[in-house]
Amino acid sequence: MMAGMARAPTTADAFNAIAEPQRRQILEVLKQGERPVLELAEELRIAQPNVSKHLRVLREVRLVRVREVGKQRLYGLDARGLRPIHEWVGGFEEFWNETFDRLDTYVQELKRDKEHSDGT
Amino acid sequence: MAHSANRSAEPATDREIVITRTIDAPRELVFEAFTDVRHLSQWWGPTGFTTTTRAFEFRAGGSWDFVMHGPDGTDYPNWITWREIARPGRITLLHGDSADDPNAFESVLTFEARGAATDLVMRTVFPTAELRDHAVKEYHAIEGGEQTLGRLADYVMAQEGI
Repeated sequence: MMAGMARAPTTADAFNAIAEPQRRQILEVLKQGERPVLELAEELRIAQPNVSKHLRVLREVRLVRVREVGKQRLYGLDARGLRPIHEWVGGFEEFWNETFDRLDTYVQELKRDKEHSDGT
Repeated sequence: MAHSANRSAEPATDREIVITRTIDAPRELVFEAFTDVRHLSQWWGPTGFTTTTRAFEFRAGGSWDFVMHGPDGTDYPNWITWREIARPGRITLLHGDSADDPNAFESVLTFEARGAATDLVMRTVFPTAELRDHAVKEYHAIEGGEQTLGRLADYVMAQEGI
């Protein structure tokens, strides 16, 4: 997982920011388009103050930006913070995460085979 | 050589990548999947990759000489030698593209029982931070970009024309 990545631990770090599952969910929703905070809270069923807190962290590391439209503040993805993640996640770690997905599937097959042969 | 990694002046955290996974199976079984080419060929590499093995000898000092075939048909020579095998808890290996690859890196795999499941941790330490970054870029070139955040980042880059 992201939290396991070996990087200097600073709070103002995009990697740190996305180690939090709810913040990743927020990013996933914002991928579909800008949202006001209330809409995000409803869509994700997360209390609004928590969403606001997450958005503050995500803005600090430039994963999320905000723009004012009339009286509304709309939150959207900010590419500036995603760039280092793009460069990092795209490589070695992704390779092994996918490989371990396959390992997991294979081991489950082994387990079933074994249970089957033990049971007969 | 990667042996010198532990003695490098750079802190290990700048040179390592740690990947963890919990697998719902006993650790003997997870370990088993790493010990035989019959198993390894079924799961080694990301989605769409296959392997052809030239030689395989699972013992400390033994090696696995193989080619990975990418989904686009590109071949990647691979070479692994096992430094330490402690069944069913730990495997230490050196991974490069050939026996004399100066950029080979060391990975330590640990298998820890967590109830009926297994915590698998792969800690890879590169000889230098530059080689770590190089490996990340190299693997990036190999990989397509399938993971959620990778896709997310791709999407945003494309949107904003970066």
